[in-house]
Amino acid sequence: MAAVARGDLASMSGIYEHRNRALFRFFYRLTGRQALAEDLTHEVFLRMIRYRHTYERGEGAPEPGFEARPEAAFEAWMYRIARNAYADFRRRSRLETGAGDGEMEAVESGAISAFESVAKQQDLATLHRALGRLAEDKRELIVMARFQGLSYEQIGGILGCEPNTVKGRMFRAMKEVSRIYTELLREKAS
Amino acid sequence: MMCANARESMAASWAAELDDASELQLKRHLAECGECAAEMRELTAIWERMADLPVPEPSTAQHVRWEAALAGLTRSAGPARDWRRTSGNWKFTLESLWPRRPVWQATIAAACLMAGLIGGAFVETAMQKDRGDSREIAALREEIAATREMVALSLLGQGSATGRLRGVDYSERLPALEPRMVSALIEAVNGDPNVNVRLAAIDALSRAENDAAVRSSMAASLERQDSPMVQAALIDYLVDSRDVSAAARLREFSARPDLNDAVKQHAEIGARRLTEYR
Repeated sequence: MAAVARGDLASMSGIYEHRNRALFRFFYRLTGRQALAEDLTHEVFLRMIRYRHTYERGEGAPEPGFEARPEAAFEAWMYRIARNAYADFRRRSRLETGAGDGEMEAVESGAISAFESVAKQQDLATLHRALGRLAEDKRELIVMARFQGLSYEQIGGILGCEPNTVKGRMFRAMKEVSRIYTELLREKAS
Repeated sequence: MMCANARESMAASWAAELDDASELQLKRHLAECGECAAEMRELTAIWERMADLPVPEPSTAQHVRWEAALAGLTRSAGPARDWRRTSGNWKFTLESLWPRRPVWQATIAAACLMAGLIGGAFVETAMQKDRGDSREIAALREEIAATREMVALSLLGQGSATGRLRGVDYSERLPALEPRMVSALIEAVNGDPNVNVRLAAIDALSRAENDAAVRSSMAASLERQDSPMVQAALIDYLVDSRDVSAAARLREFSARPDLNDAVKQHAEIGARRLTEYR
């Protein structure tokens, strides 16, 4: 990223190769929409270029303990940009939740149908829906910790709070998703 | 260990961030506290089940779009300058040069005024440069539009209906429908196996309804369609575009014996409306 900040935009290609899937999955898990997740991923990489000077200035690594880990510092910076891009999108679209009424989109695409056929076998579709109905901040936390593989320390750095606070919130988010999941299973059974 | 601490430790345990000592403490607590033990079992099961959720993959179109955007940016960007350091140095230099005696300060102010007047003479030159910059921005915009068109065309050629629908959606974001895009959309209306893609393409082509060749293609497409929904959408297209020459075609179409009753009626009404526009 330092090379990009110095003006070598071609270096961005390597960063894209290395990070685009992770970012896409982050947005997909948040929004449940393929096209939107791709648009937001694209937007984040453009913002990385636009705001590359903020990384060089050290804004990307303000959290103690990240100085010796440029990878972690970069991830924190990247996810902050991603969250801002998503917040801007939410503001523009005035959505109450990322996927409309808290429900993940059920797209009639081949990919999603394939997903659904697998998911139905294992009750995963219900879990997917439960995640979609979760409040935005809780879903984001689960996405970061469970699916993006970020440590609580990293998440704390991104959200600007202590790792123990993140753990407490994570517990509550899991409790909530479990409650919704059980409710959905009960609805399905009745 | 208190229940609140146990909950934090549970979260750490799911992410494998719990050290041995804390894990032992958690186990002891769970052995004593039935409520926490039940929560641990329930939530760990959810955490583990989440691992089975399918992993989404971005489409190839995203990569194409990014490569094109980066190529455009790389071409248009010059070497980056560190404005932060530069401005810091200027500030330092100006501060050290600024005289403390008022007479010198007044002299510098007068010199600045003169420089301003002379500088005004160069305003025209600067404006010319701005016009040059505007041309660059316009060129960049054109490049972005070309990239979008490329993405839309690439998506329209995809195997999945969702991909093609996204291609149609992309075409609607283009500032104007270029001939290549128009023919790709007409091709979609005529031959796409998916009804939704055909309907979306008809909608997207509404921006080209002033083009007589497009209207003629849409009228010709009516004969090829087997879906009543698409037939109705094409009739609407022709009526909305006020293509009076299509009235005869609609009447002819409405006389087809195998036609759906609703479509037949729709075509007759459309033909009547077009005749009234004459």
